[in-house]
Amino acid sequence: MLSRLPYRVQIPLGLSLAVVLAALLVTAVAAQIFARTARADTLATVDRAAQLLSAQSLPLLAADDTWRVFALLRNTAAFLPGAATGQARAAVLDSEGRVFASSAPQLLRTAQALLGQSVSGQVWPSATAVTTRMRIDRPDGAIALLEPIRSEDGQALGFTYIEVDAPVFAADWAALTQPALIGVGLAAFLLLPAGWWIGRRMTAPVLSVAHVIEGIGRLDPAELRRKLPHTKDPELGRISAAVDQLISELQVRQQAERRALSAERMAAVGRITAAVAHEINNPLAGLLTATQTLSVHGASEETRKRTLDLLKRGLNQIRTTVAALLPQARVEDRALEIDDFTDVLTLAHPDVAQRNVQLTTQVEVESAMRVPSAVLRQVMLNMLLNGVSAAGEPGTVHAELHADADRLRFSVAHAGKALTQDALEAKVAAESGDDPRGFGLWVCREIATQYGGGFDVDSRHGQGTRLVFWMPNRETHEELAAD
Amino acid sequence: MDRRRLLKGTAALVAAPRLALANERLRIGLTAVILADQAAFLARWADYLSQRLGAQVSFTSRDQYQAVHELLSNGQIDAAWTCGYPFVRFQSQLQLLAVPLYKGQPLYQAYLIRPMGGEVTVRGWSDMAGKVFAYSDPLSNSGWLVPQGEFAAAGIAQKDLKKSFFAHGHRNVADAVASRLADAGSIDGYVWETMRIHGMPGATQTEVIWRSRLHGFPPLVAAAGTEPTKLEALRRSLIGMPKDDAGRALLKSLNLDGFIAGQPSIFDSIRQLARSVSGSGVAA
Repeated sequence: MLSRLPYRVQIPLGLSLAVVLAALLVTAVAAQIFARTARADTLATVDRAAQLLSAQSLPLLAADDTWRVFALLRNTAAFLPGAATGQARAAVLDSEGRVFASSAPQLLRTAQALLGQSVSGQVWPSATAVTTRMRIDRPDGAIALLEPIRSEDGQALGFTYIEVDAPVFAADWAALTQPALIGVGLAAFLLLPAGWWIGRRMTAPVLSVAHVIEGIGRLDPAELRRKLPHTKDPELGRISAAVDQLISELQVRQQAERRALSAERMAAVGRITAAVAHEINNPLAGLLTATQTLSVHGASEETRKRTLDLLKRGLNQIRTTVAALLPQARVEDRALEIDDFTDVLTLAHPDVAQRNVQLTTQVEVESAMRVPSAVLRQVMLNMLLNGVSAAGEPGTVHAELHADADRLRFSVAHAGKALTQDALEAKVAAESGDDPRGFGLWVCREIATQYGGGFDVDSRHGQGTRLVFWMPNRETHEELAAD
Repeated sequence: MDRRRLLKGTAALVAAPRLALANERLRIGLTAVILADQAAFLARWADYLSQRLGAQVSFTSRDQYQAVHELLSNGQIDAAWTCGYPFVRFQSQLQLLAVPLYKGQPLYQAYLIRPMGGEVTVRGWSDMAGKVFAYSDPLSNSGWLVPQGEFAAAGIAQKDLKKSFFAHGHRNVADAVASRLADAGSIDGYVWETMRIHGMPGATQTEVIWRSRLHGFPPLVAAAGTEPTKLEALRRSLIGMPKDDAGRALLKSLNLDGFIAGQPSIFDSIRQLARSVSGSGVAA
């Protein structure tokens, strides 16, 4: 139960219990010593009483004065331990060992023969056998003392007899307990508050360290260091030093985390910048070709008008792409048209021509297209440029746009290196990571996810790779995707 | 006894003039015939008598009758409150000073007492064979002479007793029997009754199993040759005690009714008993 208590309570309480236990132990030992001393004191008192009785009763015995011997015994026996409770008595025996007088005539009757007799199972020595002081220890712990009373010339006139019952020698635990309890109470009264105070004083530095540890990560390290206790105690000193080191290491780690976070933010900015540059750069080659076409064939009204429309739609695509990066900007995007597909083919033409790729297309529009033109132009241009790049030289690429009432699908197939779904997932993950090159496929997957569609590898396609992008053919794509 | 002559003599004594003993001392010896170890009472009584006599009265106590009689014969005391037995034994050397009145008479009884409660082993004098007996004093009527007569009458000799001893006073006899130091004892009936009135254990823890015939109450005596004027003044003061409050209070403490001059014939029964007991010192 003690171990469940707080440390700040355990130590004072433990000290207090130790005080009480020590007091009880001391009391118990003292009681044992007192009991032994009491027996020795009782025997010494009996010896002194026997000497006194022998000396005082000598003339009375010689004068055959029973009454005065009785008076002497009655007064002297009152000093024997246990006399007050009838557990000690004295007698003077005549020369033949009969009771001359006793302090308790009911137990030791006047003129009763004692020496040389068997009384209550006790065989007494004969009068002639008692020549010196003799102590008889009975099995039950009682004692009897016999001492000859001699005249000056050595004649035995009688005997002094004292008997003390066993209970007199037994330790009076009840009497010992009271002062012992008073002692324990006094010790507790004086030492318990002292033990409690010392205990609290001992635990105070530990509590300070605990509070400092609790404050790590929340409070200023300098303030925490100031609160650390400075003590000469070696154990507490080690704990304080360890906590101080912990605070230092934590400071270093926090600085490192801040640097890492800054670097990560910089990397993210770099990736975003690369992606934006990629998405802007994709149509730029086609737009530059268009400006060249305009300068060469701008005399033709039809060519000029078609080229300017191409330029307008291409620049709008770039504006829409950039606007998507600005949270405050909201650009109204128009629905996809067939001309947008044609624009994408035109914008990709420089790459197609450069890589000597044969591009074939197929358009199947069964229902009105309601998807936003800017993001679909972005997807189609990315997929087409990626397919041209992966088709090899010379290679073939087949782009296909299909729209029905439910969804719009755009696919690019090439006969180049095959791409599995897993490889696509790895590539998309890589493009979203630290690899700034080729953001096209990642942008396609992000747009598909954002508009509730998909962007996957057609696993049923034969040689080469066919990538399929689809999205619902409706205007509320963002809300559906959010649902 | 000639009652008329006795009363007439008493009246003459009461009317006697104060003793002209201003610078003299009057010493009175006390024995165990009364509870004489109460110092405060004796001091009050001495003051009372000193005022009445115009002399300095003092009391001297001894626990043995013989010692008091030796003081008296040596002239160390002027009077003694002794027992009827030594009065008749040493009557030629003594003169009667006064006799107390107990229950209206100058008479008392001897008691045979035994411990109260416990096993009853003594019912009378004839049961004393093999028992321990307590006497009061060798010169005590109730505490030695009466038991001797009764033992003789019961056919019990001293050797038939298991043991006997003198307790040096009636009060000690009662204490010896109460504590069972003795199986029985003979005691002055007046002392035992007075102890009982005072609630003393010696009386409350013993019981009377026999009472003697009436004998002359222990008298106050003086040596035969003592100057009469001195004695008459003391006698007059004693006899006059019931006449004033202080005297009555002292008599109440003594459990007595008063004093009379008395006649030696009061002690005839003791004299007869002493004559019948061998070794009593009184010729048959």
